[in-house]
Amino acid sequence: MASAPTIAPATAPLNGRTAPRDQAAAPIIVTEGLRKTHGRVVSLQGLTVQVPPGAIGLLGANGAGKTSLIRLLLGLSAPSAGRADVLGLDARRDAIRVRQQVGYMPESDCLPPGSTAADFVAHMGEISGLPTRAARQRAADVLYQVGLDEERYRLIKGFSTGMKQRVKLAQAIVHDPKLVFLDEPTNGMDPQGRDEMLDLIRRISRSLGISIVMSSHILEDIEHTCDHVVILDRGRLIANQSIRGIQELTGGDLLLRIDGDPAPFVETMRRQGLTVGMAERTSVWDEILVRHDDDAVYDVIRDAAVATGIALRSMRNRSRSLEDIYFSRITEANALDEQTAANGRMPSQ
Amino acid sequence: MSTSGQPVPYPAGYPSNPPSPDNGAPAYGNAERYGEVFDRGYQHYEGSRHGRAGSIWALTRFSINRAMGIKKSWTAKVIPILVYIGAAMTAIIPVGIESFTGQVVMPYDQFFNIIFLLIGVFVATIAPEMLCGDRRENVLSLYFSRPITRLDYVLSKLLATALLTLTVSFVPAFVLWLGRSLLADAPLDALGDNLDDLGRIAVAGTLIAFYLGAGGLMIASFTGRKAIAVAVTIVGFLVLETLANTLLQVVPQRWENLVILMSPSNTISAFLTQLFPGAQTSGTANPDIVFSSSLYPVEGYIAFLVGMVIVGIGVILSRYLPER
Repeated sequence: MASAPTIAPATAPLNGRTAPRDQAAAPIIVTEGLRKTHGRVVSLQGLTVQVPPGAIGLLGANGAGKTSLIRLLLGLSAPSAGRADVLGLDARRDAIRVRQQVGYMPESDCLPPGSTAADFVAHMGEISGLPTRAARQRAADVLYQVGLDEERYRLIKGFSTGMKQRVKLAQAIVHDPKLVFLDEPTNGMDPQGRDEMLDLIRRISRSLGISIVMSSHILEDIEHTCDHVVILDRGRLIANQSIRGIQELTGGDLLLRIDGDPAPFVETMRRQGLTVGMAERTSVWDEILVRHDDDAVYDVIRDAAVATGIALRSMRNRSRSLEDIYFSRITEANALDEQTAANGRMPSQ
Repeated sequence: MSTSGQPVPYPAGYPSNPPSPDNGAPAYGNAERYGEVFDRGYQHYEGSRHGRAGSIWALTRFSINRAMGIKKSWTAKVIPILVYIGAAMTAIIPVGIESFTGQVVMPYDQFFNIIFLLIGVFVATIAPEMLCGDRRENVLSLYFSRPITRLDYVLSKLLATALLTLTVSFVPAFVLWLGRSLLADAPLDALGDNLDDLGRIAVAGTLIAFYLGAGGLMIASFTGRKAIAVAVTIVGFLVLETLANTLLQVVPQRWENLVILMSPSNTISAFLTQLFPGAQTSGTANPDIVFSSSLYPVEGYIAFLVGMVIVGIGVILSRYLPER
């Protein structure tokens, strides 16, 4: 009779890893003056940053330096100057030890079309140090986790873009890494596939105790998936802080969708001291924005709805804070650049 | 279910839940353990892990399977199968003839010279399978994000190529040796007496496998397209052969040894001539060519072949250096 595998209890320590939600834990990534140039193109301009464990968003426009940073941290390319530590190890000197403990999901298509998903994921597990039998077992398990249980014996060349992304994610976690780099994981996926992929990533980070660094140029993906964000623009650090911190700093809004006359409802809430504005009026419903300063707001909304007899159809956070901070920080950085450039020209004028 | 709609209770002593059909548990009769719950959820791995040697071996095995078309359509297996048939015939036919005549019809050096073309075709086919797909399909970024170095990658590919090539360089020669020994009047004595030959066969087979393997991989490392790699390998081989053979006709004798090294087949012929005592080879792979000057000693050819393998590794490695 086959013996049952040992199942780690939910409360078991995570294989020596630091709980990702513990923001006070030692940083997983530390860079000092990290610089990368490709000929005359500067990808990273002396980046100095400390990144805590957890779900980390690496945000920036195309060409901001996200992929260059990930490749440097993996030891796939050599820095032009500066240094980077990953999980307390020098990314260049201890590259092998770093790569034993991390997983990588590249942005580009990188799967051999002539292999089955099960064979390839198991192979990548073996390359990462797993014995053959364990690699095959874990490949089956992670492919089940990413939703490819039935398709795992099909050739990859018959897979859709979303399925290939799932295989890439599976190979990144098959060897039980402590940290996974995900480079644009939702690239090329349809909205439903994108949502499912983000759910998977959230689960990996929050349930499995694996820190993730997810690079994306899509604000919403980062905001909904990550605890912490590092924003890059043209190789410079624009912001490095927790998303909750940003939200606390900048506040947020609640978007209410109601049926009924909105005027008395809005007036009632304003009399209670809330900051309220109309967002959108349609023939079917009205949308109202309410400033969400503290949770007492929910009681006021409930009471006002009862008092004025409107039907509250939905209520959700509409936090534009990451987008706000992204654009405001980039604007500030650009203004600083222009000012520096102007000051530099002064003596010659 | 009973007709009254109530579940029928299990007999006393039997489990109250139905057994899982696929866990090996008997349907009834084991009151202690009737089923198991397997958590298909993600588990953290706390078992043993192998080091870089294990990773290299894993990549070698994967590369061998891929090059041999394992788990691929039959078309991917055609050329290896034809080469194996050719190699088997080259070994079996002489043994068959010798069993009747009692005479050695094909000395080992001649055997290697004849089979050299098959080995060349085999390497030209498998070397691009080893490298081109990884480059073309962008798998390199995944490999190099794993705990292996670029040298590990190159060595595992060379090892895979050489191991496969050994199956058409050493194995048929071994079959010839074994058959010849077993056909002797006293087979057990013959096996012992012919161990020297076996050692020479092993050296020849191994050096040919690594030398041609490194050459094939060197060419394949420059392109992601298999067809181009195969074509360049074959054309390059023919050009070198033609050039070397032409030069051999015109250069003074004192340059002959160096010109021989230009051509893989002449190099191997000269090496085999020196390796096997009493060899009658005079450029058997190229019947028109007769080595007229005294050749380098066998150690010289071994050093040259090993040197070429090292140069090949260096060139291949330069194609996989990290970006600066």
